[in-house]
Amino acid sequence: MKSLGSIRRDFAPWLDQAATPFIRFEGVTKRFGNFDAVDDLSLSIFEGEFFALLGASGCGKSTLLRMLAGFEAPTEGRIVLDGEDLAGIPPYRRPVNMMFQSYALFPHMSVEKNIAFGLKQEGMARGEIAERVDQVLKLVKLETYARRRPDQLSGGQRQRVALARSLAKRPKVLLLDEPLGALDKKLREETQFELSDLQYQLKTTFIMVTHDQEEAMTMADRIAVMDKGRIVQVATPAEVYEAPNSRFVADFVGNVNIFEGVVRSVEGERVTIETTAGFDVVATSEVPVAAGQSVSYVLRPEKLRIAAEPVPGPNVVEGEVWDIAYFGPVTSFHIRLNNGAIVKVAMVNATRQGPLQLTWHDRAYVQFDEDAGLVLAE
Amino acid sequence: MARSGGATGAGARGPQAEERAGSGGLFRRIVIGVPFLWLVLLFLVPFLIVFKISLSQVAVAMPPYIPTFGDPSTWWSALQQFSLDNYAWIAGDQLYLDAYILSLVIAATSTLLTLLIAYPLAYGMAKAPSAWRTTLLMLVILPFWTSFLIRVYAWIAILKPEGLFNQLLLFLGLIDQPLVILNTPVAIFIGIVYSYLPFMTLPIYASLERMDHSLIEAAADLGSPPLKAFWKITFPLSLPGVVAGCFLVFIPAAGEFVIPDLLGGSRTLMIGKTVWLEFFTNRDWPVASAVAVVLVAILVVPIAILQRQQEREG
Repeated sequence: MKSLGSIRRDFAPWLDQAATPFIRFEGVTKRFGNFDAVDDLSLSIFEGEFFALLGASGCGKSTLLRMLAGFEAPTEGRIVLDGEDLAGIPPYRRPVNMMFQSYALFPHMSVEKNIAFGLKQEGMARGEIAERVDQVLKLVKLETYARRRPDQLSGGQRQRVALARSLAKRPKVLLLDEPLGALDKKLREETQFELSDLQYQLKTTFIMVTHDQEEAMTMADRIAVMDKGRIVQVATPAEVYEAPNSRFVADFVGNVNIFEGVVRSVEGERVTIETTAGFDVVATSEVPVAAGQSVSYVLRPEKLRIAAEPVPGPNVVEGEVWDIAYFGPVTSFHIRLNNGAIVKVAMVNATRQGPLQLTWHDRAYVQFDEDAGLVLAE
Repeated sequence: MARSGGATGAGARGPQAEERAGSGGLFRRIVIGVPFLWLVLLFLVPFLIVFKISLSQVAVAMPPYIPTFGDPSTWWSALQQFSLDNYAWIAGDQLYLDAYILSLVIAATSTLLTLLIAYPLAYGMAKAPSAWRTTLLMLVILPFWTSFLIRVYAWIAILKPEGLFNQLLLFLGLIDQPLVILNTPVAIFIGIVYSYLPFMTLPIYASLERMDHSLIEAAADLGSPPLKAFWKITFPLSLPGVVAGCFLVFIPAAGEFVIPDLLGGSRTLMIGKTVWLEFFTNRDWPVASAVAVVLVAILVVPIAILQRQQEREG
């Protein structure tokens, strides 16, 4: 499979066979009664990585994070951090800090006391504490708010205090539980970039739990997509998006067309698939498939082109404009084929006039390249 | 007042919202006015009557004091008979001072004892599985279903020399002679702690129960062992409940009459008993009223201080 780039080009320790993982989950299972929250999961995370655990609620991602923090003990398996087995080490002796989803700021303490709390537990000297508090407050740009109480801060400021507090002790690993979940959209976008910059600056290993794929994609070096206590795929954001390893990942991350079909012919990498949607697909397959095999063809809406007039060539589908959604930067079309199947197409509005003057119930022709989609053999 | 959330809060302040607030004004006045009226009629007016009597003189009459306000033409001369003699009398007699001090000491001690028992109780309840909490809460309130007086009498049966407690200790061979508990200060403490325990437990439970558990996890995460996390986080955050509970116990305990009278015997003279003696034995209503007014003053001052402090913090 061709390698799809990580965001930081010079940073890809997971590709290095000789690199030693910083954190290892080895066959970890967590059982609550009869329910396996985490099911025989193994995972390696490298030093300095910004790692995201992505999944729907109840997929076990938070349990995984809480086991690393020490709030839950694995039922089976072990967790190793920097060569040290964490079993039996209570949360207050672990070299990790967590930023809580609710922020969990101490309401009876000022911002600086909140941040100093962890340092005092270490028995750090008073002068040194003050220095460190100033330093992290500067890092999150809250210098002037040191004496405020949490209830005198906005949501965004509270988020920064929580971040500053969890960074103050310079943990080996920073755990972030839905770090941007409580912020509104605009603030969330800004904070995403800030958080990435901060991580790049500090070189601390960050592990984030999120249900928001956009959050995971914009910030993480690698994403682990989780489902029912297991990891489905671990890859860079671009790989997860462009080369999902399963229908589940393709469907969970981003918008997608999935066509079921049977391989009719194979010529080297070039395969022809007869789909149940009533048209044939000519595609290049990255996985070896044989004629007669059932496959799924996964096609992102933005990889398709739409036209009002017939276009020549293979991979052209004719249908009726069934739905149009205008988002501003893109317009999304739902094209209904003759047999009732829907094809989703996203067009970038590169000009102010929009891509096409198509409206509801017009005939439309959808076209895509041979390498636009992905053949998944299951 | 609760802070209104962002855009919705701002959006509600339209002309219609003001109209609603206008018609809501009357409703709000009624809602506030009814309890206000209640307090005026049943607390302020009786207190003023007591205060008036405390400024009067004893008389062999019905009612047993002068002046009384009958004919409006005599009001001015009646007013001139008011004096602070009763207060001077209280201040001059060591007996009253001793009774006040004893009452405050007993109230403070029993408040502390109640706190020491109620806090772990409330903590246990707040940490119990949520399915149990309602039951545990019911168990705390359950004693109220029996008359207070009957419960105090029950303690006499338990604590007296031939009572259940001594019988148990004798049976277990822990003592040879029955312990004298009834008619001592110890019995008063037992009675007060027992009777007022729910008033301490419930506010503490309320403040612990609504506490965000992630705060404790955050403290642990930042390197705080459980006991330290308790002292630095849980306890300070439960203080409003502790303070409320202490007032709910201290104030009635300071003026307590039934428990010291039934369990404490005749030698411990608390202020409630003093008022009773002045009223019914000496038939000196003015001095009894003055004693009561001074007690109210002693108890109101710390409340006022606390309230001002809380306002400044909020």
